[in-house]
Amino acid sequence: MTEARIHDRGYMAYDGPRHGPGRAMANLSYHTVQRVLGLKRSNWQKVLPAIALLISFIPAIVFIGIAAFLPRGDELGLESSADYYGFITGALFLFAAFVAPEAVCTDRRSGMLGLYLASPLSRDTYLVAKAAAIAAVLGTMTLGPPLLMLIAYTLADAGPDGVSGWLAELGRILASGAALAVFWTALSLAVSSLTSRRSLASVGIFVGLLASSAVGDGLTQGADLHDSYALFNLVGLPFEAVFRIFGEGDPEGAPLGEVDTWPIFATLIGLIAAFGAFARWRYQRIEVAG
Amino acid sequence: MSDIVISARGVQKSYGSNHVLQGLNCEVGKGITGLLGPNGAGKSTFMGLILGLRPRQGGKLKVLGVDPDRSGPELRTRLGYAPEHHDLPGDVQAADLVRHIAQLHGLPRRVATERASNALWQVGLGEERFRPIGTMSTGQRQRVKMAQALAHDPDLLLLDEPTDGLDPVQRDDMLALIRRVGSEFGIDILLSSHLLEEVERVCDSVVILANGMVGHSGTLQDLGAAASGFKVELDSDPEPLAAALVARGAAAAVDGHSLIVSGVDSASDLIRDLVADLGLGLRRLEPRRTTLEDVFIEASQ
Repeated sequence: MTEARIHDRGYMAYDGPRHGPGRAMANLSYHTVQRVLGLKRSNWQKVLPAIALLISFIPAIVFIGIAAFLPRGDELGLESSADYYGFITGALFLFAAFVAPEAVCTDRRSGMLGLYLASPLSRDTYLVAKAAAIAAVLGTMTLGPPLLMLIAYTLADAGPDGVSGWLAELGRILASGAALAVFWTALSLAVSSLTSRRSLASVGIFVGLLASSAVGDGLTQGADLHDSYALFNLVGLPFEAVFRIFGEGDPEGAPLGEVDTWPIFATLIGLIAAFGAFARWRYQRIEVAG
Repeated sequence: MSDIVISARGVQKSYGSNHVLQGLNCEVGKGITGLLGPNGAGKSTFMGLILGLRPRQGGKLKVLGVDPDRSGPELRTRLGYAPEHHDLPGDVQAADLVRHIAQLHGLPRRVATERASNALWQVGLGEERFRPIGTMSTGQRQRVKMAQALAHDPDLLLLDEPTDGLDPVQRDDMLALIRRVGSEFGIDILLSSHLLEEVERVCDSVVILANGMVGHSGTLQDLGAAASGFKVELDSDPEPLAAALVARGAAAAVDGHSLIVSGVDSASDLIRDLVADLGLGLRRLEPRRTTLEDVFIEASQ
């Protein structure tokens, strides 16, 4: 019997099909979702994203469980899906401040940004792919539980009345969930674009949100200025927008209670655009290897 | 297909008032080309322009026949790039990273997986391909960078200081690998380096940048053939021999105990006769060869 050995594997040229930049963006988004969720990484890296996802889904599961025994959702103290976001504010905050920066900061710190930009990706398509990845996870948190509840309530005969009512509720859930996901994505990207250190980005987002909340509350409640100054409150603004999408004003006496709906939407859209433009501006100027 | 891989005509690039490239002209042909230059000469900036990472401010640049400013994403599908830095994500397995980059360059997932594995075998990391990059040595990381640049089968490979941080043995291995990629794999290579010796060892051609312009470009073969005359090394003061040569119409430049002689036919016979007549001790008489170092120093001044 002769001994067989591979001495050289040789080099094979590749003449097959190649996908374009669109597929590269999708691939980068997929890879980024894996990274921020800690997949293929140590267990320690999975802790924060797992906590954020659990916090966002557990209330929905509890409500659905209770609804199985108490057939009317309004008896749970959950008047609409808008109320649900009050339960998951912490999860969104946790993810946007402490998990999402991983999506971009590490690329700059590890030099991967240079490799990405040496691929068919451009700075813009890179940023869009990253934003899509963060928004996809945040969207899972903001859309998943309310949609799950809508389906469960409908099956338990506790959902909206009629087809039109059901579709309207679905539309409001989609709009609210998307608005929250896009806002927190844009905010996280803008702050993360300032640094290659994930911890600094986390501190920046955390402090920025607390500061904006303090400023908004201070101007309206401390200085007794008009409620519109509460638009500075980046924590309260997106959730107030959600209440307006569901046709509900904030409870009487609360910040933004006296502000019309359109300035709230305009401010929210303006902030998303401003955060996005800032992140883009930063990435156009970042020097990479090469 | 054209033999010109990169063509630059009057390429300019500035950062504020710092004019890094000031009308750079060169043509890079097939094979392995060394991009040499002192720090600040504009090597990295030129690499960035080739990749289309930065827009140029003037001139024309064609890489593989297309303008990087206009067709950057399409062009980069055909380029492989190994950066200078050693940082790569430490918690990612080498095979995953190489496959990911290959997919970004347009390869379908299954093909990317196969080629990533193959590329890592080619660079000598076949057995290590499932190790996290953070556990690898500098030499292994350099090989991972080479593998990720190779896996998608580029037409042109851009290597930025590929031997930086390697010990002599690893350096020899890396240079042999580069030579193999350029010759056996048939991939054209632009190798940025500040080490003349490694460029001389592996490159077919050289482009020397100095002060944002091309100080010299050409093949190393032409470089060696360009010089004329002889180099004479004596064991004593060469001034008497220089004076005797000049008296017979030759040009003689003294450099320590050596003489560079040119300008006459049959110079070797003349030198031999004069050395014998003057009773001098001759240590070496050889045809003069211009070294890359000579050209580099001249171009840098």
